Amino acid sequence: MLWEAIGFYSLAFFLIFFAYKTITAINPIHSALYLVLTMIGLAAVFYDLGAHFIAGVQLIVYAGAVMVLFVMVLMLFDLRAELRAFSRGLFSGMLKIISAGLLAGIFFAGSDSSIAILDTPAAAPSADVSRQLGILLYTKYLYAFEALGVLLLVVAVGVVAVSRIKGGTHARH
Amino acid sequence: MGADVFEITVNFVKMVAIFLLMVQIVPLLVWVERRGSAYIQNRFGPNRVGPLGLTQLLADAVKFLTKEDFVPGRGYPFIYYAAPIVAMIPAALALNAIPLSSPVHVEAFEMLGQTWGPYVFLAQGYEFGIGVVFVLGVSSLAAYALLLAGYGSNNKYSMYGALRASAQTISYELAMGLSIVGVILLFNTFNFTEMIAQQAGPLVFSLFGHKVEALSFLPNWGIFYQPLGAIILFAAMFAEANRLPFDLPEAEGELVAGYHTEYSGFKFNMFFIGEYGHMFVASLLMVIFYFGGYTLPGVNPETVGKWFADFSPTKASLLTALVLHGVLMAKVVFFLWIFIWVRWTLPRFRYDQLMDLGWRTMLPWALANTILTAIFILIARHPWGS
Amino acid sequence: MSQLLPVFALTVFVIIFGCALLGFAHLIGARAKPNKVKDETYECGQPPDPTRPPQSPPKYYQTAILFILFDIEIIFMYPWALTYGDFIAQGYGLYIFLAMAFFLAVFIFGLFWEVKSKALEWE
Repeated sequence: MLWEAIGFYSLAFFLIFFAYKTITAINPIHSALYLVLTMIGLAAVFYDLGAHFIAGVQLIVYAGAVMVLFVMVLMLFDLRAELRAFSRGLFSGMLKIISAGLLAGIFFAGSDSSIAILDTPAAAPSADVSRQLGILLYTKYLYAFEALGVLLLVVAVGVVAVSRIKGGTHARH
Repeated sequence: MGADVFEITVNFVKMVAIFLLMVQIVPLLVWVERRGSAYIQNRFGPNRVGPLGLTQLLADAVKFLTKEDFVPGRGYPFIYYAAPIVAMIPAALALNAIPLSSPVHVEAFEMLGQTWGPYVFLAQGYEFGIGVVFVLGVSSLAAYALLLAGYGSNNKYSMYGALRASAQTISYELAMGLSIVGVILLFNTFNFTEMIAQQAGPLVFSLFGHKVEALSFLPNWGIFYQPLGAIILFAAMFAEANRLPFDLPEAEGELVAGYHTEYSGFKFNMFFIGEYGHMFVASLLMVIFYFGGYTLPGVNPETVGKWFADFSPTKASLLTALVLHGVLMAKVVFFLWIFIWVRWTLPRFRYDQLMDLGWRTMLPWALANTILTAIFILIARHPWGS
Repeated sequence: MSQLLPVFALTVFVIIFGCALLGFAHLIGARAKPNKVKDETYECGQPPDPTRPPQSPPKYYQTAILFILFDIEIIFMYPWALTYGDFIAQGYGLYIFLAMAFFLAVFIFGLFWEVKSKALEWE
């Protein structure tokens, strides 16, 4: 029990530390790498909560796919012009104000409902939670699942359409 | 991890032993690769140092250790040093999640004036309910080592090598993930031990509610249900491990040495440990998915236990585990040899051919495999009579 | 948490093992004075030009995004494959097959369109 508590709190501490470094790191690549660590930590938290399959998905999709794309783009493409455009000026100032407002909103909304978080959670889910997830996904949430397939198709078409546009920062190719 | 000190210690030692097994297999495989390539190309290979050139490995290790610790002047030292260490982590984590033998049951015993046990020790570092998904997730983190190496060296060739490597690994991850869907359809579980248990015994399956026993001289291996999936998975594994004919990231004619251009000595060797670790995990997955894991063809796992009935239960269980581990390793070694065999037989792909093969050939075939498997299972397992 | 502790322990062990090996190699490795020419980026004889970082075609970026999309679709097939046998055993085999058949039809249409639009072609 003691070991579990130590494990959980050290995991939580590192998770918050990595998330903090993601925001404050000046080098965008360091920031992205801290975000990778945050994602892996989140997968561990999911696993700890009993959502085993979601933890695996978090590892494969976020840590293994989305962040690989981020890191690849930041490391290997010359984004100096974009970095400059997004770190100074009116546009990024607006972004900063908006995100500060969002954070404040989340903070107040969260502090309002945080008493419910302190309640003891329901009994730990049974071992075969992935199977239950599958059964629910393909019965109760079937329409959402099929709609997601269509949405992914739209995104795929959009990616190809956007990458065909000549001009902008990639005009020199 | 365990309930008391003894269990925790044994489990930790077990994990470290599996990791060291992965590290130790590298010099052996390098030796097999050199001798094997020499055999294939009708040469001698290393045969001067020690019997069959085996101590050449020790000389190599000394050479690796005594090389100068070099950091490129324009690189980023921390990331440059972190990359080889990161390269070892995914393979080590994936290897520890795969069962290497049957569990060992230890009876209660007395030690230091205290009664310990009884224990059950799995022949793997840790068991997750989501075995396959965990291995896939951890393996997908392998791209970071390449990206870190490319960025940390701050070299044009390293960067292009890292870019190619990551684009290639993610492209083949699709075909790999899809061919594993067929395996999960077949066994209806994510758990490796359950998969192996389902492959024990002779090949008997049901069709339209009838039991077909005509092929019962064959073992009940996954390869007989998933031949196409097995081929796709094995081909995708080559690309995942960056082995020839998919070793475009280190195509020396174009990119010097790819992402490890600036690496030398033991740092270079650690990338090798990661690569061979991936090969090892890939061979293990092939054996567990399609070739019955640690089961012997024609022999029930219980029969193996009866061979050692004269010993005490603890010893019998340990001996059974050792025999089954030997069976598993024999199968794995065969696949490792295929990895080496292919490397010295096939030429390298061109980059556009490589991406073409991954996206436009293997992905559709893997899809076809999934759909066909689903249709066959629907027909075969549907409760027709009731 | 008790299931995750061994993973953390192993990760920490591998990192310590790697650092120890690198440190050992650093200690007993040959020493040479830093040399301006040697420390330079390896460039096959050409003097390196640090002012221009390497540029890569946006094709890689497009490939990576398409990979993420298809990866998500494949991930959704895992719970389906896991529960397929349960559905069949309860007599809902055709239902679960058609549920995935529609999803797969969209997937195949997407893949077919990508191939047709030459988005997956490298020159």
